[in-house]
Amino acid sequence: MEQTTRRFWILLLLTWSLGPLLWQLYTSFSTDQALVTPFATVDQRWTLAHYQAVLSGHPPFWRYLINSLVVGASSTVLTLVMATPAAYALTRLRNRVTAIAKSLLIAAALFPYVLLFLALLEVARTLHLGNHLLALTIPYAALSQPLAILLLSAAFQDLPVDLEDAARLEGLGLWQRLRWILIPLIAPATTSTAILVFLFSWNEYPIALTWISDADRLTLPVAMARIAGSSIYSVPYGAYAAATVLGSIPLIALVLIFQRSIVSGLTNGAVKG
Amino acid sequence: MSLSLNQLGRKAGNRWILRHLDLCVNDGECLALVGPSGCGKSTTLRLIAGLDQPDEGSIHINDQDVTSTPALERKVGMVFQSYALFPHLTVSANLELGLKVRGIPAHERQQRVRQMLHVVQLEERANQRPSELSGGQRQRVALARALLRDPHLYLLDEPMSNLDAQLREELRPELRRLVLNDRKPVIYVTHDQHEAMAMADRIAVLREGRLEQVATPRELYDTPGSLFVATFIGRPQINVLPAEQGVVKAVRPEALRLQTGGVTCQLMHREWLGSSQIWQLQSPLGLLRLLTSADQEIPETIQVGWSRSDEHRFSADSGQRLPG
Repeated sequence: MEQTTRRFWILLLLTWSLGPLLWQLYTSFSTDQALVTPFATVDQRWTLAHYQAVLSGHPPFWRYLINSLVVGASSTVLTLVMATPAAYALTRLRNRVTAIAKSLLIAAALFPYVLLFLALLEVARTLHLGNHLLALTIPYAALSQPLAILLLSAAFQDLPVDLEDAARLEGLGLWQRLRWILIPLIAPATTSTAILVFLFSWNEYPIALTWISDADRLTLPVAMARIAGSSIYSVPYGAYAAATVLGSIPLIALVLIFQRSIVSGLTNGAVKG
Repeated sequence: MSLSLNQLGRKAGNRWILRHLDLCVNDGECLALVGPSGCGKSTTLRLIAGLDQPDEGSIHINDQDVTSTPALERKVGMVFQSYALFPHLTVSANLELGLKVRGIPAHERQQRVRQMLHVVQLEERANQRPSELSGGQRQRVALARALLRDPHLYLLDEPMSNLDAQLREELRPELRRLVLNDRKPVIYVTHDQHEAMAMADRIAVLREGRLEQVATPRELYDTPGSLFVATFIGRPQINVLPAEQGVVKAVRPEALRLQTGGVTCQLMHREWLGSSQIWQLQSPLGLLRLLTSADQEIPETIQVGWSRSDEHRFSADSGQRLPG
């Protein structure tokens, strides 16, 4: 009995989360005719035309994919490079300054970034960063800092102090301890942080919309919105769905590759056990 | 004089958690640090290792002042209670890391790691992670890592407290063989006084951050310097008699004898241990513990006494041992 109820809930959850995705997939492969009359018999139900349209657009769709990947990867790397030492310092130094810094970080993490928008735009304009992918990387990395630092310092906090002491006694300097001991040990937290930052940059819309106007430098969300709004007389559902599917593939791949390292309990057996 | 601590002190906030500590440990000598938890044992070890800085006093290793030398240059081999093995590295990588950092060439590193694995009998485990090892094996890896440092002294922080009693007994001779034979000073922190007595040449008893007494196990047991040491060292615990005219007398449980005309007692509880037995007795002098041979029958009326020479006498005010 219990088994059955459990199966039911799992099924419901799966439908809930996968349903829209599957519908999107179905739409992307359906002809327009099949879409509007789902139950009628139509001459041709399946088509690759939407994908062809999206991929042969000008500029081609993969251009946006690459832009988004470049921005995503660079902002993730920049975030981690800055957040890891910051998180380490915040965990190891215990005084009033770090306590205040931590609460400020929480405040910053909760701050709606759209309110920073005009100021950021002004900064970007002064620095002549408009229409540069860098103009997205820098604010994305900055906006991701609070969350990344909080997540990583929680990971540093969880490491047994003895491990770092043992490393010091082995003669490892600060950089060597980070490189050989601490960073490898917080790898699961780093990976999940990286995925969150990457997702944020992948999905970010308002900043990308205002700062980039050059069609060759658009990121995915903006490019997709352009497809969806390309005509006021009809909504190209099929093309839109095809673009969404293509845009999701890298994310799905990313999670599949890293899920093992997110889950793996690397610290097992570190202490006692 | 290989390790000497002079008037060492350390504060936590405004409170001294260790103060006025003077200790010397010679080459090849094993000194056990014992005391109730929070007495400053681990603090002392951390100060010697350089993991914490003292607020006063100095530390000399081989007549060199190392008080402000950072931990990574101090050359101490420490075994942590938790072993502190690097969980993401294999056994041999755990051992090799320190050598690598010190710039020893790869082939020599591998050779020394292999030799060391042979010494601690873990050759087959070289490529396993610490999580795949048993407690005793992890402890041996931790020891091997400390030995590979080629240190000036060894610091062992409750190295066996995570092991079961049988394994502890098995590992004691091995620990002796590996560490005590290296002719370096060894400081051994333990809360197990049996272990302290079995391993150490001298025992230092700490209490609330002060050194209470330092002496050979024998001296500590036979002539404890204070009531605290008397009750702390020796199990079953010493019998402390009610104070009379400012004097507290204490008698070891094995010094109590059945004696006609002695103090009349009632048997509360009997612990039979195989080779000996402990009687918990209710008497006009309070609860008494009597340790006797296993074949001793329980008489109809229990009367116990002791000889005057087995009495330890302490001042009721200061707890210090009184002469005579």
